[in-house]
Amino acid sequence: MGQQLLDAIFIGSIYALFAVGYTLVFGILDILNLAHSAVFMFGAAITYSLVVNHGQSFWVACVLGVAACGVMGLVIEYICLRPLRRRRAPPIAALISTIGLALIIVAAIEQGRPGTFFAWLWVDGANSVAFPTGAVPNPTWHVAGLTLEASRIAIIPITIVLMVVLGYVMRFTQVGRGLRAVAENPRAARLMGLDVDRMITLTLVISSALGGLAGILFGVALGDISPYIGRDNVEVRGLAVIVLGGMGSIPGAVAGGYLLGLIELIAFLALGSNARLGVAFAALFLMLVLRPQGLFGAQLREKV
Amino acid sequence: MKGVRLVSFLAAAIVVASCGSPPTSSGNTNTYSGKVIKLGAILSITGAGGVYGPQSRDGMNLAVKQINAAGGVLGATITLTINDDASLKATAAQLTQTLIQSEQDLALLGPTLSNSAVGAHPLAESLKTPILAVSTTGIHIVPDCNWSAATQDSTPCKYVFRDSLGEQTAIPNNIQSYANDAHPATGVLLVASDDKFSSDGGQIVQDTVGKYGINLLKVIKFSKAQPDLSGEVTQAVQLKPDVIFITSLGGIPAKIMTEARKQNWTGQFLGGNGFNTATVSAQAGAAGMGARSASAWYLGNTFPSNAEFVSAYRTEYNKDPDQFAAQGYAAINILADAAKRANLTFTDLAGDRDKLRATMETVNIQTPLGPFQFTPQHDVKQTVWVIAMDGKGGFTLVHKITTPTA
Repeated sequence: MGQQLLDAIFIGSIYALFAVGYTLVFGILDILNLAHSAVFMFGAAITYSLVVNHGQSFWVACVLGVAACGVMGLVIEYICLRPLRRRRAPPIAALISTIGLALIIVAAIEQGRPGTFFAWLWVDGANSVAFPTGAVPNPTWHVAGLTLEASRIAIIPITIVLMVVLGYVMRFTQVGRGLRAVAENPRAARLMGLDVDRMITLTLVISSALGGLAGILFGVALGDISPYIGRDNVEVRGLAVIVLGGMGSIPGAVAGGYLLGLIELIAFLALGSNARLGVAFAALFLMLVLRPQGLFGAQLREKV
Repeated sequence: MKGVRLVSFLAAAIVVASCGSPPTSSGNTNTYSGKVIKLGAILSITGAGGVYGPQSRDGMNLAVKQINAAGGVLGATITLTINDDASLKATAAQLTQTLIQSEQDLALLGPTLSNSAVGAHPLAESLKTPILAVSTTGIHIVPDCNWSAATQDSTPCKYVFRDSLGEQTAIPNNIQSYANDAHPATGVLLVASDDKFSSDGGQIVQDTVGKYGINLLKVIKFSKAQPDLSGEVTQAVQLKPDVIFITSLGGIPAKIMTEARKQNWTGQFLGGNGFNTATVSAQAGAAGMGARSASAWYLGNTFPSNAEFVSAYRTEYNKDPDQFAAQGYAAINILADAAKRANLTFTDLAGDRDKLRATMETVNIQTPLGPFQFTPQHDVKQTVWVIAMDGKGGFTLVHKITTPTA
């Protein structure tokens, strides 16, 4: 049971880290960035490629991987979102646009095989790969019947520290106040002299960097890196997390991530593995019925 | 001078005659020269089956290249299109319809996954087009492609064949060989219940273990979309089984092996066709060392045409082939042999498809898989190779079973 609880906290941390990126963009822009799961995968894939195919150390690859995902945030903003915003396109257009980008990113990685155009990025096509033994420092300890693996344990403090830092930035810094002002009312923020586009760009860079980091941690801890890890493992769960926690709320995304991990564990222990997602989404449904704003979300009110 | 003229006339007559009719050994009366034999392959190049599809594709392309370079099928050129079903059943079915009705292919190959075959094969059967499965190993692929739990329809399908070794043969032979070697007493089965290949394999394990004195302590079912299987593995390891059976495909076997070894479990992994590619062995790494499966092919097998195949494949792709490449390569040679003897008209597509189906039933050729003939059920009967992962992305041979029990 102790091991199972530890595993639930680990996977909850991944969900939380991933979902914060979703919620950050939703909080500021009121749209869902569905390219986020592709960025999650991109972070893991590029870091793996830098280590295995380009001979970089894991730590250097990690930094470059997160940075590359930050750049991907710029791509999302400049290609998928800003042109639509300029034309005052409805949110659904932005949603579709980000889905399109996600498909393109996944397809590009899928096509990466030796001798192809994308070989510099990825050479394993649709295959699932893992970091070779020894490429990532990952000691394992066995204590009181528990298997403690460094890569899994480390994710928990990394997630908590990052969330605390992000919370501090949002609450107590100039940038954070600017972001919150844009979230509250972009037009008013612009009239107050804020560069709204810059704030939105910054949001997407931070969000994508966090998504990429979550992907890297996922790939290291689970030994599973493929073009589909974002789509198959976290995309829908990430949406569930932000609904559970409250759309647009960072503490909500963190709480929602851990809550989803725990709900899945309880479902697994009580009903078996196959019940995990069913029970999790039943809980989501209940939340939508009983408390639509989620755990930490503000009461939804229609502005007139 | 008269003699010279006579010889010249006879030589010319022979040349003209040989151009106008195929060699007598084929028994054909129609002309193949300059014609095109259109084949379409439906493979999983992307998605979960993307671990296996590219190898099948490479094996097929190599065979087509070799046959065409050697003059084609009695002068007819083979064209092969590779179509990616993205590991999706609906896409596989849609492609089947397109290739048969729009592209007017003579015969199809694939799809990669049993899960997709359930959608594609009944369609090919209803449209009376031969389809040769090259990697599908689930239950009811042949002979009864229309079988489902709802219909229980076990009518033999006339147009569906496979050159891949069914799990109903592979898994029991693998279990039997390990039971003979190590006499395990207990086992746990980990099975992805939302995938036909995996659940069929799981059913075969459950049906088999008792015969060899193995007590199946628990069947742990999970979804293939479950990101972290450590909970499931923990549950399995805590039961301290001698064997963990894994019948899944793609990245799942490696995930399970890695997690179980992290938890200090030292027992034996036994699996199915999902193990049988270097990609899975490489992903499992040291954790997979010794994991056994029964394979339709082994790199070092001594069948006469295997050495040629391995050498040509290495030259073409600068890497070793695997079982899926060998099965794809064999499939093209099987279809080429059948086409050679089918007396195709190249004008009556429906008739040609039927003739091809009939000659496929009598194929008898040498392939890298060994001497090849279909059984009356359109299945393959062949040598089974029990192989073990070597911990470095390859395999070692454990047993060669020339007369499989199932």
